[in-house]
Amino acid sequence: MAAAHPRTPSPRLAARRRWIAAALAFGVIGVARAGDLVPIRIPGAVPASVADMPPLVPIVRTPPLPIVATPPAPVTIRTIPVAPVAVQRPILALPLPPLPAPAPPIAPPLPIAVAPQVAPQVAPPAPQVAVAPPVAPPPVAPPVVPPAAPLPPAAAPAPPPSGKPTDAVLIASFNIQVFGEAKLAKPQVVDVLTRVVRRFDVVAVQEVRAKSDSVVPTFVNAINADGSRYQYVVGPRLGRTVSKEQYTFIYDSTRIEIDPSSVATLPNPGDKLHRPPLRARFRVRTNPPEAGFSFWLVDIHTDPDEVPQEVDALADAFVSMRSVIPDEDDVILLGDLNAGPPQFGRIKQIPGIGWAVSGTTTNTRRSKTYDNLIFDRTATTEYTGRWGVLDLQETFGLPLDKALEISDHNPVWAAFSPWETQRIAGR
Amino acid sequence: MSDAAAPDANALAVELGSADLAVRAAAAERLARMAEAAAPAAAALVSACGDADEQVREQAVAALEDLGQPPAEAISQLIHLVAHGDPLVAYWATTLLGRAGEDAADAVPALAECLASPADLSVRQRAAWALGKIGAAAASARAVVERAASDADPRLARLATEALAAISG
Repeated sequence: MAAAHPRTPSPRLAARRRWIAAALAFGVIGVARAGDLVPIRIPGAVPASVADMPPLVPIVRTPPLPIVATPPAPVTIRTIPVAPVAVQRPILALPLPPLPAPAPPIAPPLPIAVAPQVAPQVAPPAPQVAVAPPVAPPPVAPPVVPPAAPLPPAAAPAPPPSGKPTDAVLIASFNIQVFGEAKLAKPQVVDVLTRVVRRFDVVAVQEVRAKSDSVVPTFVNAINADGSRYQYVVGPRLGRTVSKEQYTFIYDSTRIEIDPSSVATLPNPGDKLHRPPLRARFRVRTNPPEAGFSFWLVDIHTDPDEVPQEVDALADAFVSMRSVIPDEDDVILLGDLNAGPPQFGRIKQIPGIGWAVSGTTTNTRRSKTYDNLIFDRTATTEYTGRWGVLDLQETFGLPLDKALEISDHNPVWAAFSPWETQRIAGR
Repeated sequence: MSDAAAPDANALAVELGSADLAVRAAAAERLARMAEAAAPAAAALVSACGDADEQVREQAVAALEDLGQPPAEAISQLIHLVAHGDPLVAYWATTLLGRAGEDAADAVPALAECLASPADLSVRQRAAWALGKIGAAAASARAVVERAASDADPRLARLATEALAAISG
């Protein structure tokens, strides 16, 4: 974002620009004008298909250990035990394309990813990682190269997306109020919900409320009834009473991949969060795969009666996500915060912090701004500046009472470049 | 639910007590779409948290999350429900009394008794929180709150400490 950078580049920005210049010189990356369809390829590194894409491989500090890539098991639905956050284990690193020798070390060296040995004060329950049946390798459509400079943030929301763009990935948050069997039993509601999800590449959902485990898989099957290939992960039931909620991420597996081992409920020091967030790490499928935009999503639904305390706890969680996982600088906190930007408390004090949604309402009644996507704009330069609120009434031609049958929240979304920019070392 | 249907909250509150599950479920679902307009049904919704049917309970909780402050005429019923044997009912009665703030000053003895009791931890935590929301009018509960401030549960201790600060003004 132009507005986020001073006219005199900082040493970090200058280093990044030198790195890009060197990469251009050696053919590691290419550039194109905005709108050009130009695939970026590295000789000898182009997979023939998605099946040839290198898996996410754990990297450990020297001395090097053998790296073992576990081949994916052909499962229908399986449960993968996931360790709590910040356990003593290597975390994932997505290697950037290597610079060809004798390229000078212009850019700061990438850190070796080693998680600090920080134990959570409260061990959260492990989420169930339900992986839908593997899909056949889809054709990889190289996305358009983004403009060289980040776009300034949009002053007004963009119109709702009617289809997925080729030059961006769309990340959304949607509180589907009391999403359970009763809602699934209404075909007209399911129809709208599936059409909502199909507009986006990843949807962070809040308020799955059901004792049955079949709600999310049944819903994803409905989404895929038109041939789509969405998959999902779902977190554990959370809440202080018998009334509990689950988070779920639903994503288009033809455009996005997930690291299943990254899925976990965040620690909840001091028990300040009624429903501690679910996190997962994603990467856009690109050619080559290493160039795809990778990012954490942190899904949250705050308790409306303790918003100030929870918002401040989320500020701590956001900062810890960046420091505990040094190889990933893109952390997107999204969900129903029950608060608008004026109530963001200590979140607003995080250097570089920004949010997509402002100056409009996000609930179905068009009276409150509760939902948002929050990220560090100086790190997540993949943000295109495009965002919006998908107004259920307007988009689907529904009267208010029918729109409220879908949810009391509208989905909110933001668009990001499919290409990873230079990671900021040591964040 | 259109805004024009908001005055139905009292009628829907009656339907929440129906012997017919379908009627109760439909009433709870309609109230969950009404946001603040469901406030007249506040006490009935809290009672519905003890319904035998999961859908009724979940829709009642959804309505309670969004209805904001309870009306003044609901306070006495909510005070009675603080001691309810179902923790979810007691939790929401306590929560709504906290939202009422100093208007719920009459609830201080019930909330203090709940805080000092071996009630469900989530209810005791909310009782401490509610006393803090009532503020200076909860001064008679200071001793109970002080004991809770040294409770072994860190969340209860924190909420009680915050309540003490609010009571002290």
